[in-house]
Amino acid sequence: MNWPKSSMSIRSLSDIVISGIGVTSSIGQGKAGFIEALLQGRHRFGVMQRSGRQLPQLEGSEGCTGQPRSAFLGAEIASVSIPDSVPRSMLRTASFSSQVALATLCEAWDDAALSAVDPKRIGLVVGGSNFQQREMTRIHDSYRERESFLRPTYGMSFLDSDLCGLCTQLLGIRGLAYTVGGASASGQVAVLQAIQAVQSGQVDACIAVGALMDISYWECQGFRSMGAMGSDRYAQDPASACRPFDRDRDGFIFGESCGVVVIERADTAVRIGAGPYARLAGWAMGMDGNRNPNPSLEGEAFVIKQALQRSGLSSKDIDYINPHGTGSTIGDTTELSAIRQCGLEHAHLNTTKSVIGHGLSAAGAVELIAILLQMEEGQLHPSRNLENPIEPNLSWVRDKAVTHGIHNALNLSMGFGGVNTAVCLQKY
Amino acid sequence: MSHTIMSETAISHEEIVDVIVGHARDILALESNEVGPEDSLRDIGANSIDRADIIMSTLESLSVDIPLVELASARNINELAEIIHVNS
Repeated sequence: MNWPKSSMSIRSLSDIVISGIGVTSSIGQGKAGFIEALLQGRHRFGVMQRSGRQLPQLEGSEGCTGQPRSAFLGAEIASVSIPDSVPRSMLRTASFSSQVALATLCEAWDDAALSAVDPKRIGLVVGGSNFQQREMTRIHDSYRERESFLRPTYGMSFLDSDLCGLCTQLLGIRGLAYTVGGASASGQVAVLQAIQAVQSGQVDACIAVGALMDISYWECQGFRSMGAMGSDRYAQDPASACRPFDRDRDGFIFGESCGVVVIERADTAVRIGAGPYARLAGWAMGMDGNRNPNPSLEGEAFVIKQALQRSGLSSKDIDYINPHGTGSTIGDTTELSAIRQCGLEHAHLNTTKSVIGHGLSAAGAVELIAILLQMEEGQLHPSRNLENPIEPNLSWVRDKAVTHGIHNALNLSMGFGGVNTAVCLQKY
Repeated sequence: MSHTIMSETAISHEEIVDVIVGHARDILALESNEVGPEDSLRDIGANSIDRADIIMSTLESLSVDIPLVELASARNINELAEIIHVNS
């Protein structure tokens, strides 16, 4: 593996770059709509309405007042525009997560002009596992006691890899395709795998998808019971519930999103008129040796330092960090400790999750995209609900966007089960 | 995933054909009206998964609970309807 030795930005043809982007979120579909809404700090937090997200009404509940049995909060996508190139027959048996991935992938595909690349030299890595839970729950609930009528397509569509089947069929991808699970770091883990697929020469362009995690009421209930997902304090005030790094945070708030990035070497990316978005300067993954969801200062500091070292950058070279920042009571404090320990307290910080919620499997990829689009715009988006930051002396972007040209950025993504990942990006 | 509410009287062969055709057109996203009882699902563009889906949707609509393998010998929509009719 070729790690650059100097800290100067190396514009070399073997640089690994991001050449295409696609994004779908609760605040907007498509990179233009997404960054515009992000910079405005627009949000769609509320009591989740999508069928299968709240506890079902009990069978034969006499005198039932119709009061819902749960009011899980989240930011949901209002509507998704699916391109005409996606055949209706494909959509019919595709889950919501798959449909959103197809639409988002189309955007990234066109953005990176991948039709000009030999299909056998294109790969696809989908970050996320069990991302069709709501679909499965709805089917299970619907066919209980009449299982013999279960649609035959269930036998293939229940698999996460069905998303790979759909995407490779739609776009004729022939190189490689698989899913990778890293819990809430899955999106970034997919990026790491895509980088390695390109570096190893397996493919010339590798697409990394942070899949939309379509959770059901079971996952919502589980997350709430664990104390991971909010909110008790703001149950009646969904707009205020998602507050990473704020004193009054009480857990993450879910947000539907899907992010797709195309990764390749700079020498193959020259086919695209516009230059690449950024250079992937360094990256790292490390495990805590811990099955539980609690974070580790040591684990986070390790990946930060390793990503920096591999990028040939020192901590003072980093001018912007997009933290994992979920709103977890312990997660947020641990992360800031790691940032301090690595000498990064001078860097600008904001909280993408405060605007779009926690995309779980998608988060790492979508937040990487947020970095790239902020780089392009020369602005950093606001952090919502950061009224009393737990470490006020850091360079927080508060309630209004600020003008700042990012040069070297750090993206952090952690996941249950002791997963830590970090990526350093350089403006191209 | 809707059920067709069946009336108390026995369903006719023609009605079964209509249900099959309806599901076939839906599942195959066919615009043409030209799907008839003499057509085979394979000929109108259904692959094996589509065929299984079409038949299962039909059985569900009609609340006829028979294993798909019972329908394997049918060579066209008419013959499918016949087997279902016998079992309804």
